Amino acid sequence: MDWTNVRVFASKELRDARRNRWFWLYTAIFASLSLALSWMGMAGVGGYRVAGFGRTAATLVNLVLLIVPLMGLTLGAMSVAGERDRGALFYVLAQPVTPSEVLAGKFLGLWLALAGSLAVGFGLSGLVVAWKAGVMQLGSYVALVGLAWGLGAVSLALGLLVSVVARCASTAVGVALFLWLMLVFLGDLGVMGTAVVLRLRVGQLLLLALLNPLQVFKVAAILAVRGSLEVLGPAGTYAVRTYGVRLMPLLFVVLAAWTVVPLSGAYLVTHRRGMV
Amino acid sequence: MSTHRIRFRWAVAFLLLGLWWVSAGARPADTRGPLVVSPDGPYVSIQEALAVASPGSTVEVRGGVYTGPLVVEKSVRLVGVDWPVIEGNGEGTVVKIVAPDVYFGGFVVRNSGDSLDEENSGIAVEAPRGVVEGNRLEETLFGIYLREATDTVVRGNVIESKALDVPRRGDPIRVWYSSGAVIENNVVRQGRDVILWYSEGLTVRGNRVEGGRYGLHFMYCDDALIEDNQLVNNSVGAFLMYSRRLHLRRNFIAYNRGPSGFGVGLKDMDDALVERNLLVDNRVGIFVDNSPREIDSVMTYTRNVIAYNDVGVQLQPSARRNRYEANSFVENQEQVHIAGGGQLRDNVWVENFWSDYAGYDADGDGIGDVAYRPQRLFEDLMGRYPPLQLFRYSPVAQALDFAAQAVPLVRPQPKLQDRAPRMVPVVPSGVPAPEGRPHVIFGLGMVALVLGGVALVGWGGRVGGRVGSRRGLVVASVLGERGREMQEDVNMDPMVRVRALTKRFGHFVAVRDVDFDVARGEAVALWGANGAGKTTILRCLLGLYPFEGDVVVGGYHARWQGREVRRLVGFVPQELSFHDDLSVEETLCFYARLRKTTPALSSDWVERLGLEELAGRIVGELSGGMKQRLALAVALLGDPPILFLDEPTANLDVRSRREFFELLQQLRGAGKTILFSSHRFDEVAALADRVLVVEGGRVVSGGALEDLAAVLEDGVVVRLAVAPGQVEEAVRVLRKLGLEAERNGTGVWVRVPSCRKVEPIVALAGAGVLVYDFALEPYASVSVGG
Repeated sequence: MDWTNVRVFASKELRDARRNRWFWLYTAIFASLSLALSWMGMAGVGGYRVAGFGRTAATLVNLVLLIVPLMGLTLGAMSVAGERDRGALFYVLAQPVTPSEVLAGKFLGLWLALAGSLAVGFGLSGLVVAWKAGVMQLGSYVALVGLAWGLGAVSLALGLLVSVVARCASTAVGVALFLWLMLVFLGDLGVMGTAVVLRLRVGQLLLLALLNPLQVFKVAAILAVRGSLEVLGPAGTYAVRTYGVRLMPLLFVVLAAWTVVPLSGAYLVTHRRGMV
Repeated sequence: MSTHRIRFRWAVAFLLLGLWWVSAGARPADTRGPLVVSPDGPYVSIQEALAVASPGSTVEVRGGVYTGPLVVEKSVRLVGVDWPVIEGNGEGTVVKIVAPDVYFGGFVVRNSGDSLDEENSGIAVEAPRGVVEGNRLEETLFGIYLREATDTVVRGNVIESKALDVPRRGDPIRVWYSSGAVIENNVVRQGRDVILWYSEGLTVRGNRVEGGRYGLHFMYCDDALIEDNQLVNNSVGAFLMYSRRLHLRRNFIAYNRGPSGFGVGLKDMDDALVERNLLVDNRVGIFVDNSPREIDSVMTYTRNVIAYNDVGVQLQPSARRNRYEANSFVENQEQVHIAGGGQLRDNVWVENFWSDYAGYDADGDGIGDVAYRPQRLFEDLMGRYPPLQLFRYSPVAQALDFAAQAVPLVRPQPKLQDRAPRMVPVVPSGVPAPEGRPHVIFGLGMVALVLGGVALVGWGGRVGGRVGSRRGLVVASVLGERGREMQEDVNMDPMVRVRALTKRFGHFVAVRDVDFDVARGEAVALWGANGAGKTTILRCLLGLYPFEGDVVVGGYHARWQGREVRRLVGFVPQELSFHDDLSVEETLCFYARLRKTTPALSSDWVERLGLEELAGRIVGELSGGMKQRLALAVALLGDPPILFLDEPTANLDVRSRREFFELLQQLRGAGKTILFSSHRFDEVAALADRVLVVEGGRVVSGGALEDLAAVLEDGVVVRLAVAPGQVEEAVRVLRKLGLEAERNGTGVWVRVPSCRKVEPIVALAGAGVLVYDFALEPYASVSVGG
């Protein structure tokens, strides 16, 4: 792989993201919501400047679960398919580059754009935390940001796979939105229903839930912020007791796999049937 | 007895008393002043001073290190000056007080043994009425241990335990059968439990306990007062068990999130009063288990602020006789949780503030006019099936609650009801909450994060870098090393060699068994109708499609050396699809970087292509002709020896087409190898040395232009683009001439003999039908390829 080409494509994607109104809309939504939620979470009670950092972090986790997959999936889905629709992708591929370089460059560029966007939102939110809070957990906050970047990578990888497989951009975006719905709502709803109806054991429930990368992110984020998973009830306690100190690395590995596998899939598809 | 005798006896008594006083004054243990212990004497060890001290004496210990263990068996005052250290050397209990009424203060007590069985302590008090004040305890297993030390005061000490795992730590303060003890204003860090057993009438006031397991743990302690404490970052703030009439007030209990994670836990308690506490950001604010126990007992919770916890109050459905009045429930993830689900009965919820209350206060009395009735479906499910807590913080939880609000059918029964909810929170005063101060390092980190984010997004501003000058648009003769070698070495070999090229799209065979060569410097045309397979062949040659067969371009195999092939080939596609939001300059720079070309000067081509003045123009705003010139400029980046052109004039008007072909002829004259596709005979005739006729994915013939002429003997199809609304008229006119004519989309096709190609155009012009454009195709290819 020629990393100079990857850098050129990444740079191009960053530039495109900067000119993409959807990207700015997502950025604005995430920044304003995280800012507002932090403000409310850290507002204190009465004259006391007591901070609800944990609560704020939990709210941010919730926000990330909603917004980041939406950003990643749709931006990823539009990237390859959109350029293919316009014919620009074919023209690019007619240059001395390989599809894997294009994929890697798009992924890297979009991820950097996404990471920048999230950094702005988290940074503004963190400023409120820094201003308001009496008890600081800088490490936890940084870990939360890092995990959100990780989830962004997962979402982008899935979006790129959709983009490569789909016949056109509109199909890709449609599939991406459906996937978002699945990951954010329907998948969890299905697992919950299955658990209640079949009375799944707690280990089974945990395993099923962790098939969803969003749940992986959530569990890792809560573990990073809270230091324990008691808040997640029996399944959380089971996870900590079963995996102990290996739990966090394990979650990282699962998130990484959720990034690598879709990207590999996208590569295989392009390798087998071409990118255009 | 005579008066004289009596006087004598008194004199003797006074004399003896005087002698005793004189003799006593000669000893160091002089009750007129303290016994001083210091490394320089008069006493060099505390034990030595204590040996001679009398009850009530003061032993002043100056700064220095003194070896323990120390056992205080007399009711003395031991006062440390300049922080004398009593070193336990890691063995046993460091200081043991076994006499009543001992004062012990101002010492550093450190390094006890670490035996949990022997309960090795920093300071163990085993007699009543002692005062342990203002000491620092470091590296001790148990800190201060009151064992049957009634009415003892433990005040103002700082206790830090040994750095062990929590279960292996001792208790920083342990009270055992020591009624009336006062524990106040101590600071405890990293201990296990501040635990109080079997003691009545305790006062625990103004302490700060952090980083332990149980901040406070009461067991069988009735009538205790717990006030003004800060219990933070423990596993549990205060766990109160098996006790009566505890009064917990004005405490700051926050961030207790370890295993259990209760702010306040109450188990088997009776008649407790919990009031005016701040319970913030714990996992569970108040946890109630089997309290009250007794039938005539009531638990009262009033004027507390329960804020930002995962669960505000958690209790069993069996909980009875709990009264929650004038509390403020602020932004808890779940305000009230019933373990096991269900509803609460026989508990009183009155005039509490609920941050999620959605009612109104029409009469302005500060009390909502509609009862507070939490009916969250997800909370109900969690109560019934606790493993579902795994989905806390997931969007699906909110979705379920939203669904329950929208669809009454799935709305659960309210778990409680507050008929008079407050509209504003009640905030108690005087709670020792720490001042929240801006955190500078965190803030700076966040500023860096914001700036980093902005910089990251902004970094992608220039996709192509900058050219060296405005005249640096096109195109240095910078070909890769392999390209140069190839230009010199392959003179004898064909530049392009295609053998048995076959391309399938699923079951459809677009190209079948195609063979041809293109020699160096040769211009070869792929001529055929639309859909004949010309574009597919070119794409296979570029290595853009996987294919069967063998394609070698410039010595490289297109199938697995596509990048090298494309480095040798400049390509102009049929559809000109640039990134429309880039400028001409940016476009050239972008592709120059991909082709590893320095955008150096080649003003000759800039001028010939007329791009110099277009450098700043956005590509999307260019005309088709301008785009075509830009495409050629891109194709010439790096001065590749081969050009592939796919219908290069498809989007050009007549004049532009002529100019473009002039450029191509110059390139051909410069020695470029050119392979181009076209369905226009005039283009083929103008540029090609040789023609490959493509029909139905095959090369049906190949050779000189005469071969093409032979094909045309079967007649040709003239495709005509006519004015909208005149298509039917055109078909009618042409058929009237006896020609075979059909409507073809928005145009017309007509078959004519090769020698009568102009006739349809002339006829239509005569009939007033406006002809915009025309194209020629061999009749055979139309019939086969469509």
